[in-house]
Amino acid sequence: MSDTVSVVVNGEPRSLEVEGRTLLVHALRDGLGLTGTHIGCDTSQCGACTVLLDGRAVKSCTVLAHQAEDREITTIEGLAANGELHPLQRAFVEHHGLQCGFCTPGVILTAADLLSRDASPSDETIRHALRGNLCRCTGYQGIVESIRAAGGTS
Amino acid sequence: MSEIIGVARPRVDAPDKVTGATQFAADGYVHGLLHARPVLATEAHARIRGVEKQEALAVPGVVAVLVASDLPVATAGTDRTSEPLAREEVVFAGQPVALVVAETEAAAEDGAELIVVDYESLAAVVDVEAAMEVGAPLARSVEEADDEAGDLESIHAGVDHGQEDDPGEELSGNVLDRITRERGDLAAAFASSDAVVEGTFRTPWVYQAYLEPQVCTAWLEPSGTLVVSTSTQGAFVTRREIARAFDLPLERVRVIAEPLGGAFGGKFALIEPLAVGPALALKRPVRLVLTRGEDFQSTNPASAQVTHMKVGARKDGTFTAIEARMIVDRGSNAGWGVEGTTSALAPGPYRWEAHDIRGYGVQTNRFTFGAYRAPGAPTAAYALESLLDELAEQLDLDPIEMRLRNAFVEGDIGMGGNPFPPFGAVDVFERLRDHPLWSKRDSLPSDEGVGMAAGFWPGGLEPAAAVCRVDSDGTMTVVTTAADMSGVNTGFAAIAAAAFGLAPDDVRVVTADTSFGPYSGGSGGSKVTYTVGAAVLRAAEAAREKVLAAAAQELEIAPDDLEVVDGVVRAKGAPDRSVTVKEIAQKALRFGGRYEPVEGHGGSAQTSSAPSIAAHLSHVRVDRETGEVELLHHVIAQDVGRALNPALVEGQMRGGAAQGMGWALYEELAHDEDGRLLTGSFLDYAIPTAERVPEIETLIVEVPAPDGPFGAKGIGEAPVVGAPAAVANAVAAAIGKRLYELPMTPPRVWKALRS
Amino acid sequence: MIAAATRYERASDVDHALELLGEPDAKAIAGGQSLIPVMKLRIARPSVVVDISRLDLCGVEERDGALHIGPLTTWAELAATDPPAGLDAIPECAREIGDVQVRNLGTIGGSIVHADPASDMPAVLLALGASLEIRSTDGSRDVALADVFLGPFTTALGGQELVTDVVVPLPAPGSGSAYASVEHPASGFALVGAAALVGPAGETVALTGVAATPFVLDGDPQNAIAAAEIFGDRFASEEYRRDLASVVAERALASARERSDA
Repeated sequence: MSDTVSVVVNGEPRSLEVEGRTLLVHALRDGLGLTGTHIGCDTSQCGACTVLLDGRAVKSCTVLAHQAEDREITTIEGLAANGELHPLQRAFVEHHGLQCGFCTPGVILTAADLLSRDASPSDETIRHALRGNLCRCTGYQGIVESIRAAGGTS
Repeated sequence: MSEIIGVARPRVDAPDKVTGATQFAADGYVHGLLHARPVLATEAHARIRGVEKQEALAVPGVVAVLVASDLPVATAGTDRTSEPLAREEVVFAGQPVALVVAETEAAAEDGAELIVVDYESLAAVVDVEAAMEVGAPLARSVEEADDEAGDLESIHAGVDHGQEDDPGEELSGNVLDRITRERGDLAAAFASSDAVVEGTFRTPWVYQAYLEPQVCTAWLEPSGTLVVSTSTQGAFVTRREIARAFDLPLERVRVIAEPLGGAFGGKFALIEPLAVGPALALKRPVRLVLTRGEDFQSTNPASAQVTHMKVGARKDGTFTAIEARMIVDRGSNAGWGVEGTTSALAPGPYRWEAHDIRGYGVQTNRFTFGAYRAPGAPTAAYALESLLDELAEQLDLDPIEMRLRNAFVEGDIGMGGNPFPPFGAVDVFERLRDHPLWSKRDSLPSDEGVGMAAGFWPGGLEPAAAVCRVDSDGTMTVVTTAADMSGVNTGFAAIAAAAFGLAPDDVRVVTADTSFGPYSGGSGGSKVTYTVGAAVLRAAEAAREKVLAAAAQELEIAPDDLEVVDGVVRAKGAPDRSVTVKEIAQKALRFGGRYEPVEGHGGSAQTSSAPSIAAHLSHVRVDRETGEVELLHHVIAQDVGRALNPALVEGQMRGGAAQGMGWALYEELAHDEDGRLLTGSFLDYAIPTAERVPEIETLIVEVPAPDGPFGAKGIGEAPVVGAPAAVANAVAAAIGKRLYELPMTPPRVWKALRS
Repeated sequence: MIAAATRYERASDVDHALELLGEPDAKAIAGGQSLIPVMKLRIARPSVVVDISRLDLCGVEERDGALHIGPLTTWAELAATDPPAGLDAIPECAREIGDVQVRNLGTIGGSIVHADPASDMPAVLLALGASLEIRSTDGSRDVALADVFLGPFTTALGGQELVTDVVVPLPAPGSGSAYASVEHPASGFALVGAAALVGPAGETVALTGVAATPFVLDGDPQNAIAAAEIFGDRFASEEYRRDLASVVAERALASARERSDA
């Protein structure tokens, strides 16, 4: 039993074919092929699935696809504009903010939400904002440094 | 060359990872894909009497429900490759018992929910010490000594097993392995000591918690080749295991190692049979993506361990004797255990006059055990480094000075009986000794403490090969089959660029699959940079010889008088007489071309390993009312041989230290008395978050490894080894009491303060 | 990981929502941050999810001697609120709930109705003497929050009822309130959470995380804690939690006193 849900994804109007129970993360990955949003857990904690919903960071594994109807979603694939990396993406590359990269899209989008409200956050604020984004590889310091660097420029 | 090696360049895979372009193993589209959902045992020890499939089969979209007899497994062993689904006996709660295969993930999960397994409960063996006693129920009814799976041990550490004798100790059939390592006169050495301390240290089962749950996709090509696309640390290991289990010739199994979303030792040929079996049985592509809950229950975390240890020293700080009894909970894994490595590493990077170390590998009904970053090492270091601090206190010696006195230097005979290669122990201890945090440790506020500890990893060895190929645009492609777990590809690019004479941006690295890639062993054991990097270096040098030979003809100058710099081959001392690498390549790679393609193949087979040591300072504050330990600062000094890329090296140091903080304060996989997992999600199992990990200061020490590329060593594991002990020593310094069990959770610290 | 099959309906207004909730096994969804996780574990298996998140039930307004908080107000909105005098505990608590992502969607109403015995905000609301306005097809009723929580994940709300207002009486002038907690390092839920209101009329402390529901301490907090029924588990024993409750209550009180004129 399939429903059609209209959303805007990365600036483009899209249609999602979903069931009542379909999670937004599955609709994005399987329905639209946007696999940059990752699934790392099943208890809504790891944050690897984070996307922006109307500009606010949310865990797409904890949103029903239906709930996103007529809203604007930004995934990691939609962050770069006109072939140019977003300042956060550039900062993560230049300041070594990633290792395996599995948590990275979620981290970057949470950081985008943070920087849109606090352009120069302290390290403490950054770390607090990352509570919902688990990383196992980096020990977080490269991530904090990258976000701090991007804060200076974006 | 000096501008390439030692430069903190961004990772070569970073742009794809920050844009979401990297395709991890669950991301690729496969036509006609079926989805598998495992049904996991809910009993820790039981006989399977039957599996009810009908309700599940009636779910729309469900294609098959498979049990062990439905999978074309050819081997009879009890390892996870030979027995991916339990045949008759379940040996741990979480063991896969059946697979539901469906057109969609949702249908597979709907079906899996309806499977009913009829169990006949057997006595569950959950306590490892009780399991050893004669008369204890056996964790596995039928003992199988399965040596074929024993090879997996060698991937992680090249340590021998010491003498395997059995001096009259009567133990149950759950004790699968006993290791004895003895040297010197233990009694005399203790007798000559001015201080002797002992203790029993407990560490729990700990989960690698890679962010990417395990995943594998398998399908048959029309030609009959089985393709296995998997998140793995070892493509060739996986190929070997699959070929063995399903009785397929090696050339018919093609393993593609997809980008790893973290692994840390846990992704070595474990779940592939659960995708391969259905793919072969149903002749359709099958993907298995474990949910996090399934990953918690059914993969292969690090063994719990009980270590009784006693150490002695003389009043000048010379270490005399070490005696240890190390009981390793192997869980349900019959094939191998970390008793070998933990007993070899128990004496740490120090000289002792006598040692008597015994390791026991004991099977229980708790998990299949697996490797986790320096397997067996953090647990050994926790015991040793805690006791060394007690020795220092009793003898009124500075803990770092005391360790310096005994630290291995080049030429000392290690546990394996071989002389130690160049080793930076003295250097890392001196860096910490001179650190301001160490000097102010006695003048901190009363609830704060600073602790230090060290840990080393011997470094692995395995022959490897690589190819460097120059393309017609003058850029180079480096080909290996090494899974990039720690950023090694970026290192390879730098090595090849520096050795050949190209700008690093003109070198790309590709990871080939087993069907045509040059051999490399699994990525683990802290050996990839050391061994595969050495192969890359030789391949680049071989390619360089080709381009020099061609340029020599072009320029009519002897090859010895030429150099290659930034993609230009030019006369030494007369740089205007030159030809570009691109020009040579274009003259080679065309119809009627006059030069051999500029390609090099390189191999390596080092026989001397490159041990790496890391020492830590941990600064903590303890809330005495709640027992919470706050990590304020951390310093790690590590001997890395040569930092090919300091940023990547620092990343490994910080990541390892942070995992050690998890060992110390947060992480424990707990079972109830029936052997069922209580902590099977991130709601119960705490991995360190950004708020809880402090700033980690990294001090890189370089003591070049003679056989490593540009002196580099494998450095991925050493950083975790001493970290839990450093935090434990810091807590002891802060509260004046020592905890003998990890993790040091708030309730345990609170209890220690009140006992 | 994938919920059991369910239908989705979106309510156009409160009456429509109530009508949709008349179906047995219907469940209202607001932010989904409590409901979706239990659906994914297949513990909750609603026949239909009734989306009320777009109803006009958000906003924070001071009116008639009370702070009226719309049940659909998110934690992020509450955390950013400049509270009336004496109600600092509300944004203080909201700031620490979950994480950024959860706070962007999770609502105060959803959390109350979910009734997790370790949720933070219910302790604050209890200490502040809050009540709920509840709508059903029969009309509205007001219920003291203390009468709403019946047990773990169990409230006095019927299946066809909706919270339409969270009412927090403005405390007497010179009051101060605070929230303190010790979290479970994995889940972030309160091992023990304590909310305190200090004012001219006296001191009130409410606890969460230690019993079947959050509750207000009767009389002297330390005596009440010593006598209370407190549960323990493998991670944190009863003995530890009782002592922790004592410590956390004292910390909340100290902070509330500092904010008050006392």
